[in-house]
Amino acid sequence: MKLTKTKTFPYWKYIIVCLLFLVMLPLNAAGIVSGSTLLILGTVIFYAVVGVGMNILLGYSGLITLGGAGFMGLAAYLSGFCSTRLGLPFILCLVISIAVPTVIGLGIGVVSLRLEGFYLAIATLGIGEILRQVFVEFEPFTNGFSGMRAAYPKLFGIVLTREVTYAFYAIILLIVMILVHNIVNSATGRALLAMKGSESAAQAMGISLLKYKLIAFAISTVLTALGGVMYMHLIKYSYPTVWGLGMSLNFLSISVIGGMQTVLGAVLGALFVIAVPELVIKQLPVIGTLTGVAYVFNGLFIVLVLLFYSDGLIRIGSDVKKLVGKIRGKKNDIDQRSGT
Amino acid sequence: MSNFIQILFSSLEIGSVYALAALGIIIIFRTSQLINFAQGSLGMFSAYIAAFFIQGGESSLEVQVMKHSTIIAVLVGMLAAFLMGVIIDFLVVRRAKKQTSPLALPIITLGIVMMLTGLAPIVFGGNPLAFPRFIENASVSILGVTIMVNSIVCIILGFMVLAAVFLFLQNTVWGLAVRTTASNETTARLMGVPTKIVTMVAWAVAAALGALSALILAPSTVVDIVMMDGVQLNAFIACVLGGFQTFYGPVIGAYILALTKNIFGFYISTTWGTAINYVLILIFIVIRPYGLFGKKTVKKV
Repeated sequence: MKLTKTKTFPYWKYIIVCLLFLVMLPLNAAGIVSGSTLLILGTVIFYAVVGVGMNILLGYSGLITLGGAGFMGLAAYLSGFCSTRLGLPFILCLVISIAVPTVIGLGIGVVSLRLEGFYLAIATLGIGEILRQVFVEFEPFTNGFSGMRAAYPKLFGIVLTREVTYAFYAIILLIVMILVHNIVNSATGRALLAMKGSESAAQAMGISLLKYKLIAFAISTVLTALGGVMYMHLIKYSYPTVWGLGMSLNFLSISVIGGMQTVLGAVLGALFVIAVPELVIKQLPVIGTLTGVAYVFNGLFIVLVLLFYSDGLIRIGSDVKKLVGKIRGKKNDIDQRSGT
Repeated sequence: MSNFIQILFSSLEIGSVYALAALGIIIIFRTSQLINFAQGSLGMFSAYIAAFFIQGGESSLEVQVMKHSTIIAVLVGMLAAFLMGVIIDFLVVRRAKKQTSPLALPIITLGIVMMLTGLAPIVFGGNPLAFPRFIENASVSILGVTIMVNSIVCIILGFMVLAAVFLFLQNTVWGLAVRTTASNETTARLMGVPTKIVTMVAWAVAAALGALSALILAPSTVVDIVMMDGVQLNAFIACVLGGFQTFYGPVIGAYILALTKNIFGFYISTTWGTAINYVLILIFIVIRPYGLFGKKTVKKV
């Protein structure tokens, strides 16, 4: 029964993830989950949005970008500038802040994607550095090292509270996951996978490499920029040094550790990379006080996952199921088959 | 004119830094077919080791001994980098080669970047460390321009090390083994070249070159976790400019890059010199996609 239902409606898992995030709100109101934990989970949500974009690029098309933080920062600053200084409505800010980084990203993509895949990594690394310098130097626009402030999003004339912003973000994540699920399972997604498998074979099948690489890079940049806007209106503060290579590497670890070729992997990866260091490691007695420990931990996990568990943590569920099935033995297996 | 000579010397000095890092990247790229993002971080970590080595005994040593200990510290730093290269190849790269995904290896080097940048402040403390010049405060006048003796030492040191690596590659049996591995690993193995050892030595030498480039850079800045970020990026751009197909291309690219960067920095804008340089090189890729000395490689399917 359940099997047929999930086949006709494939979005249940995304709705459950969204509900799990939303359940934290009544728990927060009841005092079980603290306000700071709620903020960290909000952070996880926008990192997950960026991670879903990374997965399209890394998992489905086999390209690496190292300028994610630059594009995200650009979107954050644009959104802060439009909403605070110019007083534009939130939706318009959102559109502008996503459009500008995407156009810049496409320009870089056109140049570097004509060559082999790793040229994109080098080009985006350079652009990320330039953007970070822009954030420092363009003081009238970014406020330089003093940092830029913003408010919670204002929708239909109402300024949202922190809790409503959180709920709003959880719903954005749900929409993003469903959209990306559809893209990945469409002809575009299949073309991307064919390209990742073998560029020559894909080309022989009539897939335009540049076109599909650009599509993948554009989708990823749109989601990264969306993440930047969400960052700006939840954290409410942006500072140039935040948008360095370290953050781009965090996106990479979210994608790799969670599972590159899945949509839900990004959420799991974001939980692991962002929430685990904040909520678990910092509580540990000696290790918790050291500054770079979260970074070492994530780097180590990237190496370990790629060496021994290349599908990412998202596979743990089905692997555990398999293991349990093996232990239970054949009898149960037969029972299950006759049951269905 | 005197400005130009000043620019020329500082370009040669920073060019050696870029060239050493770029040579390390290209050696690894040619022998292991992977882009090593950890080149700069390996150099940074070795510079921390060397600086820590100097600081440990600084208070009790006389100035005369200090000079001596700088050289020893450089050697210690390079040796540490050499060992790190061996360990990384042995523990990680060799195993990861069995992975089918071509993305796994570059991402693993990014994981190593995260580990090294996270470990450095834990091991050596959060404060940046200072690293002394090889020769303090001495300067000479060349064509009416005052140049630090240390700069000249660094330039000559860079040239000598680069020359030594190229002589090694061209004139020794092991150099031949490296070039064979670079040209085709499978065939090289069939011909009896111990490609595993070649790859390991390539990693070790590349890491040591990265350490030397970090230590030449260190006196003009401080030893901290971001010191090599710019060098890493410039070394990559040098590889793009020179092309990934030859060993000498990136080295020449590095010196050109340093010169144009300083010229733009001096004559146009100090803050935006680097940015203008990057954008021009992006445009250059459009015109000549495989770099100055690269050839278009035809992949057979």
